[in-house]
Amino acid sequence: MLRLFSIAISLWLLFPTTSSAQTVQDILQTHAEEVLKPGRRSVGVVLDDLVDSGLPQALPFLEAWRDREIVQRSPDGLFFRAVEDGDEITLFDLDTGETSVGVDDDLTESRPNGGVRRAIGDALVQFQLSDPDIEKRQAAVDAIARSMDASQLAPLMASIEGEPDAGLKEVKSRLAGMLAATFGETPEARIDAISGMAGDLSVDVRAVLNTILASEAGVAADLPSDANIAQVLEVGKDLTAEEAYAQLVAADLAPALITKTDIRTALEANIDGGFAGGVPLANLNTDAGRAQAYDGLAQLELVPPRVTDAEQAAAIEAHTFFMAYDEPDAAITDAASEALAAIQTNVAVSQAVDLGLDALSLASIYFLAAIGLAITFGVMGVINMAHGEFIMMGAYTGFVVQQFVPDYTLSIIIALPLAFAITFGAGVTMERLVIRHLYHRPLETLLATFGISIALQQLAKNIFGTQARPLTSPEWLDGALVFNDVIGISYIRIAIFVMALIFLCLILFVLKRTRLGLEVRAVTQNPGMAASMGINPDRINMLTFGLGSGIAGIAGVAIGLYAKVTSEMGADYIVQSFMTVVVGGVGNVWGTLAGASLIGFLQKGIEWLNPSNTLAAQTYMILFIILFIQFRPKGIVALKGRAAAD
Amino acid sequence: MQRSFLSQNPSVLWFIALLALFTIIVTLMSEVTGVGLISTSFVKTLGKTLCLCLVAIAMDVVWGYCGILSLGHFAFFGIGGYAIGMWLMYARTEGIVLESLAGQAIPPTPAEISDAIGNQIFGVVGSSEFPAIWAFADNLYLQLLMVVLVPGLLALVFGWLAFRSRVTGVYLSILTQAMTLALALYLFQNDSGLRGNNGLSGLQNIPGFEDASQASISIVFFIASAVALAAGYIFFAWCMSGKMGSVVQGIRDNEARVRFLGYHVESYKLFVFTATAVVAAIAGALYYPQAGIINPGEIAPIASIYLAVWVAIGGRGRLYGAVIGAAFVSLVSSWFTGGGAPNVNLGFYTIQWTDWWLVLLGVSFVVVTLFFPKGIGGLFDLIVRKQS
Amino acid sequence: MTFKTSALSLAAVLASTTTVAAECADPIKVGVLHSLSGTMAISETTLKDTMELLVETQNAAGGLLGCEIEAVVVDPASDWPLFAEKARELLTVNEVDVIFGSWTSVSRKSALPVLEELNGLMFYPVQYEGEESSKNVFYTGAAPNQQAIPATDYFLEELGVEKFALLGTDYVYPRTTNNILEAYLQENGIAEEDIFVNYTPFGHSDWATIVADVVALGADGKQVGVISTINGDANIGFYKELAAAGISADDIPVVAFSVGEEELSGLDTSDLVGHLAAWNYFQSAESDLNDEWVEAWKAKMGEERVTNDPMEAHYIGFNMWVNAVTEAGTTDVDAVREAMYGQEFPNLTGGTAVMLPNHHLAKPVLIGEITADGQFDIISQTTEVPGDAWTDFLPESAVLTSDWKDLGCGMYNTETETCVQLTSNY
Repeated sequence: MLRLFSIAISLWLLFPTTSSAQTVQDILQTHAEEVLKPGRRSVGVVLDDLVDSGLPQALPFLEAWRDREIVQRSPDGLFFRAVEDGDEITLFDLDTGETSVGVDDDLTESRPNGGVRRAIGDALVQFQLSDPDIEKRQAAVDAIARSMDASQLAPLMASIEGEPDAGLKEVKSRLAGMLAATFGETPEARIDAISGMAGDLSVDVRAVLNTILASEAGVAADLPSDANIAQVLEVGKDLTAEEAYAQLVAADLAPALITKTDIRTALEANIDGGFAGGVPLANLNTDAGRAQAYDGLAQLELVPPRVTDAEQAAAIEAHTFFMAYDEPDAAITDAASEALAAIQTNVAVSQAVDLGLDALSLASIYFLAAIGLAITFGVMGVINMAHGEFIMMGAYTGFVVQQFVPDYTLSIIIALPLAFAITFGAGVTMERLVIRHLYHRPLETLLATFGISIALQQLAKNIFGTQARPLTSPEWLDGALVFNDVIGISYIRIAIFVMALIFLCLILFVLKRTRLGLEVRAVTQNPGMAASMGINPDRINMLTFGLGSGIAGIAGVAIGLYAKVTSEMGADYIVQSFMTVVVGGVGNVWGTLAGASLIGFLQKGIEWLNPSNTLAAQTYMILFIILFIQFRPKGIVALKGRAAAD
Repeated sequence: MQRSFLSQNPSVLWFIALLALFTIIVTLMSEVTGVGLISTSFVKTLGKTLCLCLVAIAMDVVWGYCGILSLGHFAFFGIGGYAIGMWLMYARTEGIVLESLAGQAIPPTPAEISDAIGNQIFGVVGSSEFPAIWAFADNLYLQLLMVVLVPGLLALVFGWLAFRSRVTGVYLSILTQAMTLALALYLFQNDSGLRGNNGLSGLQNIPGFEDASQASISIVFFIASAVALAAGYIFFAWCMSGKMGSVVQGIRDNEARVRFLGYHVESYKLFVFTATAVVAAIAGALYYPQAGIINPGEIAPIASIYLAVWVAIGGRGRLYGAVIGAAFVSLVSSWFTGGGAPNVNLGFYTIQWTDWWLVLLGVSFVVVTLFFPKGIGGLFDLIVRKQS
Repeated sequence: MTFKTSALSLAAVLASTTTVAAECADPIKVGVLHSLSGTMAISETTLKDTMELLVETQNAAGGLLGCEIEAVVVDPASDWPLFAEKARELLTVNEVDVIFGSWTSVSRKSALPVLEELNGLMFYPVQYEGEESSKNVFYTGAAPNQQAIPATDYFLEELGVEKFALLGTDYVYPRTTNNILEAYLQENGIAEEDIFVNYTPFGHSDWATIVADVVALGADGKQVGVISTINGDANIGFYKELAAAGISADDIPVVAFSVGEEELSGLDTSDLVGHLAAWNYFQSAESDLNDEWVEAWKAKMGEERVTNDPMEAHYIGFNMWVNAVTEAGTTDVDAVREAMYGQEFPNLTGGTAVMLPNHHLAKPVLIGEITADGQFDIISQTTEVPGDAWTDFLPESAVLTSDWKDLGCGMYNTETETCVQLTSNY
């Protein structure tokens, strides 16, 4: 197939002089079944034939095929390009471009799957590398990057010179370098290309280097001299004795071990009147008994003898285990492993930074979810189990606004203050109706707000259904800020981080620099004294609670944007939020920040230790928090003096 | 001593008498006696409700009497269920495995038996090895000991750490909730060795009684639950009526003062916390064989909060209040969610109680907390006051 | 509604035989055991509606054995122990002849002991992890070899995937499916280190690190593909994060086993276009039967509603049961079970589903690419694949087979030629 491609290129270059009686339709009819139901492995024939034909119509056909515009008309089996416009279907003849009207029932679509579309893309590469349309050139480059192939090197090199777009030119030459590293003709050319890639930690460069460095395990009595040895393996250190022996068995260098199943099968096959191998059947209910019976059979040469431990050790001792590169040239593998080693260090550092960014992002989400609670619980000391439901209310507000305002940017701008207003209202109402009466009974506040929480959750289910609702972020928040191929963070997470920062500053400002903040602190520390100074504690409590709830609403919009909006989303955050506040230290916004950071970084740290089980990470994190609180009940940032009194 | 205790607490006698009467009536009307007025599934529901009453009593003692709002007692309940469930599953599977292996040409080795059992139990969740926590699962008596020991030790260690650090009030509530969450998350993992989200199932089939009908098994468990409830009630009533009860209630009302009087507050709290945890676990061990399946969802933090809700609605600080709350709310709840309640047609909207029951429960809970802090049990006070 | 028709047909049947008439004193009761509240309500309520539609249709067509069919709907409220309780109620108090119900594996495992004790009959309509065969359950959803294995084949064959990320929610279906797939992939020459497995909790939302891990898999130059058994809401965050990281279906294709039309409805699918799902049915299937079915569904439920795979499973299951009852002339469980084997009924996707002696269906496997309008573009459709209760790719299960018709055993060890157990392994 590769050879065919290179022939195809030359044919393509020569095509004006090639005369052929064939049409595209003829070729398609030869492979009608394959065109209608293409498969990745078998479509090559069709593509080769088309490319070989050198027909100018092959190119538009391939593009149309990739875009799923090809149909077969059932009466005559002819293929057309179909364009649907409302109810009308126009059919274009593939060779002449003549149009006709199609009837829906007669037409069967050809549906090339992802693999076939990639194969078509590969075939198109040759045509598109120098296409005047930059998008097609881009597509061709992408196609090469996805599946590199020796045949692509020459046309790619040829197209670099004439590439008008500077950015694409750079991509092309980078790609050419990668192709040269693998498919370069001389070792020198490959080594040059390899050393040119040093320091580039992108995934595709590492992919190229790793492919060059692909190695296979081998075993032999002596180290083979003709192989390019990557590493000699030490039994007991690089591989276990069992693995080593299994490798020997696989290479037919040692007899296979007799497993327990083998023994049982052999014994079952050799039962002789209540005895097997001279041992009564009743005694075969232990491994020792069975081994004895098996040895009895082995002595009669009915079965192969068991391999003793000493024999195993001797066999392993007598052989050398090694890893050998597939690439025979040591100079190339040396250059590649050197380049890769330099990259690996970079990658490790980048991964650490990336993990740090993820942790920071998680911390900011926890902070945002908990900051409202830091006010109501941390400052006022009110347990509000419905806090999570305020988050949910905020998120649903965002969802409802998007139903009426289709512009996502505008809808978010409306939703944020609206969510604040709604949850502020809900918070104030709840404070007036319920919490006000329970200020001296904190445990009952917990239960009453829990009642509100389940009622609100169920209400949301009744109104919006149990299905998750979409809250779509505006386009400018799509995508990610990419530093390199390893470090990247999505814009939406950056936005949440920025929002968390803003709220931190805002709350600090309100509490420390405004009249309201002064009054809030006064009321929290000593309501009686505050009242006698002319402050209305009722009003202050109401406003503070409203503020905390309102912020939860805004947090809800943010959380909904990055994850999902469901009636249960609040419950996901409530326990974590309380722990964030408690771990950080009650009564202090900085404490909440510290708590969120600790939890965020801790969780990512544990996840990194055990990447295959996120649930375990959450479990251990909560266990850690429980222990942490046991030993430091006042949290990280503990208040000192009279304010700390319960 | 016993007499004076009962004479001081006539309500205990009343309660035991009513419970006995109830048990006898249900037994007589069940399918076992052939009357069949009460179906087996309803006997199971009643038996389970009795277990819930027992755990509610424990909750009442720790919260209503001692003032510790524990949001973790349903976790202990679940641990009890898991502990007994492990034996039930193991023994049942062992029977099946031995029977199928008996047909083989040569007798199985102990390792083969254990592998086969492991494969049967864990095969459905994609593993076959026996985790270490199943070490005692083959022995009923050891596993029964586990029902008491595991939650007891957990409560002891947790309580000791928490009370020693003087973690009180809402902080303790949040901490116990975190413990429950951690336990539920742990059990949700498949790697936990307790079959993850699937939990332990088929627990209603009691090994050794394969031939017994579910009708008779359900009655046995119903009576056992009633006896356990009665015993728990007497035990806690006795504990809370003596001097110890006074100290414990003193701690609830003003911990600092009791401490200044020279009592070692932490020890009392630790005792109450641990004892109630053990009783909760026993209730769980009786509950899950009737439910038939236990899984981590049962232990989720919300279940423990519901427990508090029952006690609060029934009336804190009185044991019969807890029983009333648990029985009333859980039965009403299953009536509403089971579609038993008629829909209300408002003309423009039809209230379907399966959808609106939780809203009603939530709101009624707020109302009870705000206006009837003594719960349903408080009604008795009103009656008593009117009479006098 | 059909009092008249049923009375008429009753009269007709009375005229012909007397035995049938004796059975027709009461309507034939069909239990529907699907959660109408709680977390699973979203998926299961649709199935309850499906059952009601099927029963209505059948009654309009003259009922069954001359009697009217009555659907007895109960709500197990997504509470697993309640499935056992309600199943018992259905069988003993309501005395239903058959139950259609359950969605999650744990709810099925909860109901199983009751079904086997009381010799009930249940039709289970959802794709599941296999490794089970109960005499009292017909599995009309896909076994792993009817969904996971063909989808993996598609990845290997058509997309040329060489490195796999198996991402799943941490519960039994993903665990078992991934175990089977790991064994299958290794059998197909994929090295163990080229398979990355990760489990996340239900409703997980923090996907950044996991997506980064998946991207990093490509570092050794192999084509990476994701096989997702992620359940429910968690999918939203996952796909959002994939889109944010700029990963298209061309770079890293994702095939999902738990994402269907119902899950996609009301979701912005523009980020998901080109990603895949494997099912036995898609609403976009082109057949006259399917057009009729979709139309009937929309007429009953509303224009914006979609159909999905478990609904087709109930459609086939219910119709097969009706035919089996007609054939047996009674609703007696044992007689109906015998009549079920070999029952054939046309699939909505074309072809014919056959009920096998292992209580599974032979059904075609479809692979679809997600389109921008929340539907699937079917790009691959196999012939009927017989469902396999015990997978061939795990050593412990490979020796097991299920055959209730001839062997009378659901867990038959072909090596020792013994029946391991008659009840199922719940």
